[in-house]
Amino acid sequence: MRKVDLEIRPLLSALWRNRTGPLLVAVQVAIALAVLVNVAYVVQQRLATARQPTGIDLKDTFWILSQGYAPDYSQATTVKADLTYLNAVPGVVAAAISHNLPQTYSETDLPFATTPNPGAASVEALVYMMSERGIETLGLKLIAGRAPLAEAVAPPASDFTQAFSRWAPEVVITEALARSLFPKGDALGNTLYAQMINRPAKIVGIVERMQGMPAPERYADLMERVVFVPGIPPGPVALYLVRTQPGRRAAVMAKVEQEFPTLQPGRFIMKMEPFDKTAAVTRNGLRATAVILGVVGLLVTVVTAIGIFGLAAFQVTTRTKQIGTRRAIGARRGHILRYFLLENWLITTAGVATGCILALVVGVKLSLMFQAPRLPLYDLVAGTLALWILGLCAVLLPARRATRISPAVATRTV
Amino acid sequence: MPLHDLRLAALSIRRTPALTALMVGAIAAGIGAAVVTITLYHARAGHPIGWKEDRLYAVTLDARSMDPELTQYSRHPEYPPFQLTYRDAQALYRSQIPERAVRMFKAMRVVDPGRSGLQPFSVIARMTSADFFQMFDVPFLYGSGWSRAADDAPEPVVVLGKHLNDKVFGGANSVGRFITLSGRQYRVIGVTDSWMPQPKFYDLNNGAFDLPEDLYLPFAWGTTLQLFPSGNFNCLSKNVQITTYHDILTTECAWLQYWVELPTRAQRQRFQEFVDNYVTDQKRYGRFPRPLNNRIVNVTHWLAMNDVVGDESRMEVALALMFLGVCVLNTLGLMLAKFLGAAPITGLRRALGATRADIVRQHLTEVIVVGLLGGLAGLALAWPGLQIIRILTYTPGIDDNPARLALAQALVHIDFPMLILALAISLMTGTLAGLYPAWRIGRLAPAAFLKAQ
Repeated sequence: MRKVDLEIRPLLSALWRNRTGPLLVAVQVAIALAVLVNVAYVVQQRLATARQPTGIDLKDTFWILSQGYAPDYSQATTVKADLTYLNAVPGVVAAAISHNLPQTYSETDLPFATTPNPGAASVEALVYMMSERGIETLGLKLIAGRAPLAEAVAPPASDFTQAFSRWAPEVVITEALARSLFPKGDALGNTLYAQMINRPAKIVGIVERMQGMPAPERYADLMERVVFVPGIPPGPVALYLVRTQPGRRAAVMAKVEQEFPTLQPGRFIMKMEPFDKTAAVTRNGLRATAVILGVVGLLVTVVTAIGIFGLAAFQVTTRTKQIGTRRAIGARRGHILRYFLLENWLITTAGVATGCILALVVGVKLSLMFQAPRLPLYDLVAGTLALWILGLCAVLLPARRATRISPAVATRTV
Repeated sequence: MPLHDLRLAALSIRRTPALTALMVGAIAAGIGAAVVTITLYHARAGHPIGWKEDRLYAVTLDARSMDPELTQYSRHPEYPPFQLTYRDAQALYRSQIPERAVRMFKAMRVVDPGRSGLQPFSVIARMTSADFFQMFDVPFLYGSGWSRAADDAPEPVVVLGKHLNDKVFGGANSVGRFITLSGRQYRVIGVTDSWMPQPKFYDLNNGAFDLPEDLYLPFAWGTTLQLFPSGNFNCLSKNVQITTYHDILTTECAWLQYWVELPTRAQRQRFQEFVDNYVTDQKRYGRFPRPLNNRIVNVTHWLAMNDVVGDESRMEVALALMFLGVCVLNTLGLMLAKFLGAAPITGLRRALGATRADIVRQHLTEVIVVGLLGGLAGLALAWPGLQIIRILTYTPGIDDNPARLALAQALVHIDFPMLILALAISLMTGTLAGLYPAWRIGRLAPAAFLKAQ
């Protein structure tokens, strides 16, 4: 300990006499820390949003979009026949029709309340109109009650206003919605009032989780509040979801692709896609931000390491003679190594200390921009540690070179 | 003399190839990241119809009820909803003040090509007013749009987009021919040329970066056929009761885009008064409970209000520029070290008669050369970077429109101004990084270095 104390004064005075280089590196480290910490934070958030559990069995499911066009096209008979066919294909666990495709940015939402009073406090929730096997098809986990009965599924209305205004006698909701409307936990069996269409329905089942679409933290709660209303959506578009046994999706899709289009007259298949692909495309933007910022974070680390390395290498070169002299008058290799490590550590620490303040300023700005939670201090600590280690690693090579300077150098002129 | 400086720079660079490579690499990384993020920003911040900046206006009215739930999730609760209700759109359309006006929405239709071997397919149709084509300067390949009279009748006429005309009529002049849309025949009266305003300012539903619709129909077909908008449909009050299609037209639900063309400031002023008077009048019937908040805004303002550029893009640019700052400091440090390392040679040059200015210029030249090399390398890095982002963000449409690829490409395109900007940044980077080291080396007393030799 004493030895280090003795070393620090000449070290500081040497730093002070040639302060430009160290100052540059310190400022570099400061900005690098601010960039790194905030990049890491934003990337974490984007990835967290992209990875929020959906509750849906995406990898075994695919969807088919069918469009009726013939003047005599009948949604009721087509959907009935299609669902019968799809549910009978070997390898299919369940198939259902839905009015919206979850995990995309198209959604329907309505305000829901616990009393019929139109002015009552309400909670927004996403609505999916699906046939009776919808919950099974999405692979959702029913934690209370049951799925809607086939009798509750209304035949297709002429249009969406009709379909929604008719509503259904019973609905299944997610636990997130149950919790926010019935905090006492008595949602099952209670009545849910849909405002705007002014219809009541009995809650017959609760599913653990279903996420409508990935969303940033401030919307995340809305995306998990879902109401499944039994019904066949109006035509002429029909969106079918099909869940297969694990590993059999490709085979089922190939078979369906071949047989399905000609099964019913007066309609065509617009598109067919694995559900996990759809979910991935929805997360494109999140992923792109994570990649762009991830690369920036990586580069900032590399460039900072180069900066620290460059300074140390320069110091070693210009101080060759002094190092030789120190060695000649008794300094050991360890002393030389420690000198450079310590010098660099001081510079990095000065940079990191400034960088923490800068990072917080940038962080506050970003959190205001995104209405996201503030930069956690944990990230700052991690960033500080990372830059310390980076600094030590970068300086190691030049410092080792310094230790190999022979004491004989002191006797030469250059 | 500059040539001499360049030669000296080349010599110096060749003396320390590794160090120079590090500097060029650092600048390249910084400029590459800056160019990638600025290009993405630039594409989003584009002004698709700049020549009509002081003529075209989006119209929004604040018909929201006082329900707090309505603004719970909105980013800018102070702005009115971005679309109008049907009754308000119809009321505003009666005004004679604007030179042109459109109310519109989009909806799905099915095309039956009526030819064997060609399946029916879905298209997106825009139900719009006669003024649409002239108002937004839509280019025509054949024919033209329809008259105002055709709007309300409505006449069974259609304007096709180029892609649809290529698909159904093999690209021929189809004016006068008929097309079947969802079981109804329409006469083609015009075919638009390729047209891809980015951002798609006139309707930001389903994303600001989308292709225009496949075809255009007179507005009243929307209500005649009882079509639902395939864009957003937002009810502005919790107490709205919707049970029939008619309710969509009469309740407080917003789903129509509304644009006007007002060539003079006086007209703009008069139209604002007209709108405010209309809303004030409606208040008597219990509508528009909020304070007067009707906004008639130009395209630039409109895109800003709707966050088309987005915080994501802004943040990426900010972080990339901070990173570029790190790269500049890095190069500055390395340059300083290098120049000081070569100080004996500089001392010799001074002793042989080079002035301080000569020395500063010589060193500055070297840094600028390094900066430009870094800039070029950065551009070379940015290109594949942008292609990767294009692949990462490409969203295939439900259609087979080849323009979709062009759209994806347009969003990552490095255009000429961007190229100039990149070179300017690299020049500036080089200068910034070199100014101090060159000045510092110019001030060194030559004697100190000559003595040691």
